[in-house]
Amino acid sequence: MPVVWSALWRNRAESVLTLLALSVAFALFSVMIAINAAYEQAIYDTRIDRLIVTCAFDCGTIPLGYREQLARLGGVSAVGGELWVGGGKDPDEHHLTTVTFMDEGMRSAWPELPMTRADWRALDISPTGIFLTRTAAARRNARIGDTMTMNAGPGSGTDGSGTWFFTVLGFIADPTGWGQQWSPNMIVGNLRYFQNSGNPDERDLVNFLRVAVDRPEHARAVCREIEAWFTNATPALSCVPARENVEELMDANINMRQISLGIGAAGLFMILFLCANGTAESVRERLSEFGILQAIGFGNGRIAWLVILEAAAPTILAALIGSAVAPGVGMFLSHLAIKGVINIPAVRASPVALGWALAAALLIALLSAVAPLYRLLRTDVAAMIARR
Amino acid sequence: MSELRQIAAVCVVGIGTLRDRYVPALVIVIGMACVVGVLTSMLSVTAGLTRAYLRAEDAARAIVWAEGADFDQSRSLKPDVIGTILDAPGIAREADGVPLADPEFMMWLPPVEGFAAGSLQLRGIGPAGLALRPAFRIVAGHMFGAGMRELAVGVGAARKFGLHVGSEVRLRDGKWPIVGVFSCGADIIESYLVGDALTVMAARRSPGFAQVIVQLVDTQAYPGFQKWLMENPAIDVSVERKTDYDLRVVGADTSFFTRMAYIIGVMMALGSLFGVVKIMYGAVRARTREIGTLRAIGFGSTPLALSVLLEAALLGAVGAVVGAAIAWLIFDGRQMWVWGAFKLRVSPHLWVLGLAWAIITSLLGGLFPALRAGRLPPSEALRAE
Repeated sequence: MPVVWSALWRNRAESVLTLLALSVAFALFSVMIAINAAYEQAIYDTRIDRLIVTCAFDCGTIPLGYREQLARLGGVSAVGGELWVGGGKDPDEHHLTTVTFMDEGMRSAWPELPMTRADWRALDISPTGIFLTRTAAARRNARIGDTMTMNAGPGSGTDGSGTWFFTVLGFIADPTGWGQQWSPNMIVGNLRYFQNSGNPDERDLVNFLRVAVDRPEHARAVCREIEAWFTNATPALSCVPARENVEELMDANINMRQISLGIGAAGLFMILFLCANGTAESVRERLSEFGILQAIGFGNGRIAWLVILEAAAPTILAALIGSAVAPGVGMFLSHLAIKGVINIPAVRASPVALGWALAAALLIALLSAVAPLYRLLRTDVAAMIARR
Repeated sequence: MSELRQIAAVCVVGIGTLRDRYVPALVIVIGMACVVGVLTSMLSVTAGLTRAYLRAEDAARAIVWAEGADFDQSRSLKPDVIGTILDAPGIAREADGVPLADPEFMMWLPPVEGFAAGSLQLRGIGPAGLALRPAFRIVAGHMFGAGMRELAVGVGAARKFGLHVGSEVRLRDGKWPIVGVFSCGADIIESYLVGDALTVMAARRSPGFAQVIVQLVDTQAYPGFQKWLMENPAIDVSVERKTDYDLRVVGADTSFFTRMAYIIGVMMALGSLFGVVKIMYGAVRARTREIGTLRAIGFGSTPLALSVLLEAALLGAVGAVVGAAIAWLIFDGRQMWVWGAFKLRVSPHLWVLGLAWAIITSLLGGLFPALRAGRLPPSEALRAE
């Protein structure tokens, strides 16, 4: 190790510059791996035994009354209704404020929603109450007990004013998942409030029915049965298992899963030659040193280890630094995404990303050591000492 | 010797010695190629989408929609207000006096196996819709008939969903046949099915258009057209130039991705910058005796420093051209789908951006090594090994 250390520290400025370049590239690589992993996790987090039921022909809403009919189908264990009502702008001016009204069936149909039994009870006894996700609460600086208003447009309410008043009952964790799962900027309200106070023509309508099936392997069959059962109804229904829906949405949009891997690979390719050039220069300048080491009994194996270690030390250190920086960059990107129109899943540090970074660091070190080692092992000791 | 001639002479000497330092030079070229390649590849998505939405003829066009409903799937523009909109001043007219304006709407069709709901969309268009799209061509089958339960599919949607003449799609009132395949000069409409607006609306059982696309007599006609509509108490609509509307739509689709491209471009440039600093320091070290000799025979420090900067910029520029060329070869013209078919485009603008990006990064990276080259005392430089 002292030999490796002295070799690295021989030209401090250049070693530090190499380390900085490698660290930036590994930070980028780790962020890209984390983004890829976040998408994979979003798919994994979406359960196979959950179905999303919507109107088949672009009609926007479906009658809540379908809920009971769906619940009677074989394989269906719970059904819940969900309606979005939007109005006004968020304080950040980027998003419409949207309240997701839910009925009591959602508690069993989609138990992944991070609401406790007590939260559901509070929502049940207080129809004007709302729960905000941590992101939604932070964006509005909301506190428990605050009154929040939303203007959903003339005619949306019974009184014709369109202004809705809500009381903040509490906060819930940002839900996992993506796509037509839950948004991190989500406000959960009680569907009963809308049914009691909404426009009479729209009271018993919902955007989605979410269905839980008893066994994951039944999901597709139940979906097909729902579509067949309601094919001649007005409106007809369309059904998709939630996980398939997420996968399809990811493919319909800019495919960040593929792109992230390509960018990460380009970042590594960029530093591969820098690292290889640094190792080659170092070996060339220390040719006589290697000759003396061989003359005093260092075998080819030990010389090879020295060169590989010298190449690996900065790459592994850079991989660690890059992996440490990556979550910060990832959070910044997630923040940007939430402010924009596209949502990307939350990007977090993961042992998988660190593992990939370390593996890539070793691979780069090995590739960087190949050419200098080939030269070293083909040169005889006398020539090396004479620096020929 | 004048300073300019000194700079030219030192640059020639420096570039002449690149052959002896080709490996480190290659490191800069490859590094910059990666930076510019990634940046231009990512931005080719934005450039491609912009070209799919924005047409040259849109400059003298406006789009009208019901207040508060500026999205394609809206049906808030009721048929009874269309006549009022078409009475507005400044609308171009066809030879027979018919206003060159088309009320249109979009609707989602049920999910196709393997594709997300909303992927397959149908655009209802009227007779003026074709006049507004001069590039519209039927490439297989025939055009849908007015009042007929027929549809035509764009080449992008046909490729994506495997649709062709003879295929059928389900609407609310049953199956509708596809009777034709059309192209439209790579316009985004190639991603949709199109059908007769009034017939599709009847099948949809929900009257209402999303928007009216209007051809104005010229670009100057817009303010009067907008004022007339906005101040008309009989209707409650919003008006926007079509180019502005399209830019907003494209921006909404790509804003995050574009920002991400620049962030990644900056990160990669930063990594590359450190690499350039290291390599150029190495280059100055390798040329120490040469620099000492030049100083000894009367060359000033400024030409020497500039020669290092120019060498870095030249290598960066070569890398940028290589990176942009690779991105162009791989991605330009490649079909992509982001809620619609479009072709990726490594535009001349992106080439210039990549070149500027690489040259600025290289110049920044070459700055400190250049200063060092300029400040090397000749006596010390001549003694270097």
